[in-house]
Amino acid sequence: MRRITAAISLVLLLLVATAVAEASLLGLLVVFTSILRLYLVVEIAGHYLQMSSLNVPSFLQVGIANAGTVGSFLLTIASGLGAAAYRYRRWRPVL
Amino acid sequence: MKGLLRLYPRSWRKRYGAELEDLVDQTPGGLGVALDLVIGAAVAYRDVIASNRVLATAGACLHGMSVAVLVQAIGFVTLILIAQRSADPTDVRFGPFNFATVIQTSYFRLGELLSPVTWMPLTYNISIPDVVLLLVLAFALAVVLAAPRLLRRLG
Repeated sequence: MRRITAAISLVLLLLVATAVAEASLLGLLVVFTSILRLYLVVEIAGHYLQMSSLNVPSFLQVGIANAGTVGSFLLTIASGLGAAAYRYRRWRPVL
Repeated sequence: MKGLLRLYPRSWRKRYGAELEDLVDQTPGGLGVALDLVIGAAVAYRDVIASNRVLATAGACLHGMSVAVLVQAIGFVTLILIAQRSADPTDVRFGPFNFATVIQTSYFRLGELLSPVTWMPLTYNISIPDVVLLLVLAFALAVVLAAPRLLRRLG
């Protein structure tokens, strides 16, 4: 039972960490939209998130499709898991 | 200055807090001492994290995710840079999957009809923030990648 609880906690923590990382990436995209004067549309599971500057005309329309959003999520989680697995295997007690 | 001692891990403060507090009382306060205390706190956290396997693994996981976020941000700005130089829509595809598309708006196409003298500065003005952003992101990525080694060398 304790192992199951630990495994579920681990998965939940990993999901929360990934969600925070993705939110920070979205925050960066908002900043880029403003600086680069973009019209950005992000598709998230059939819903659309649109961002653009009100006062400045946009020169480029950027659309991130569902595959891009899912790919970004998978890349972030895979990077975290890869780094964690590498550290876990190579960890040695500090003398 | 004593407030900076709160930056240290609790276990470390229990063991060495009183000693360090006395030391801070005896030294004249300044920017150098404050910087020393902040770096000392980072080193103390490094030791606490490195000595625990689970914490070290969690730290590595967060580090990996930070690198992934920065790499994706660099990819996004690079895509914008490439798309600005092409009149056709720019797609990022892998097999049947279309990840992203960049299209120049009609406002920009109108610019193409203008004389090159008015059109070129328009393109040039857009590219400068891109390049600056790219450099800032590359610097941030280099700092994040070097952070574990830098922390290992400290102390």
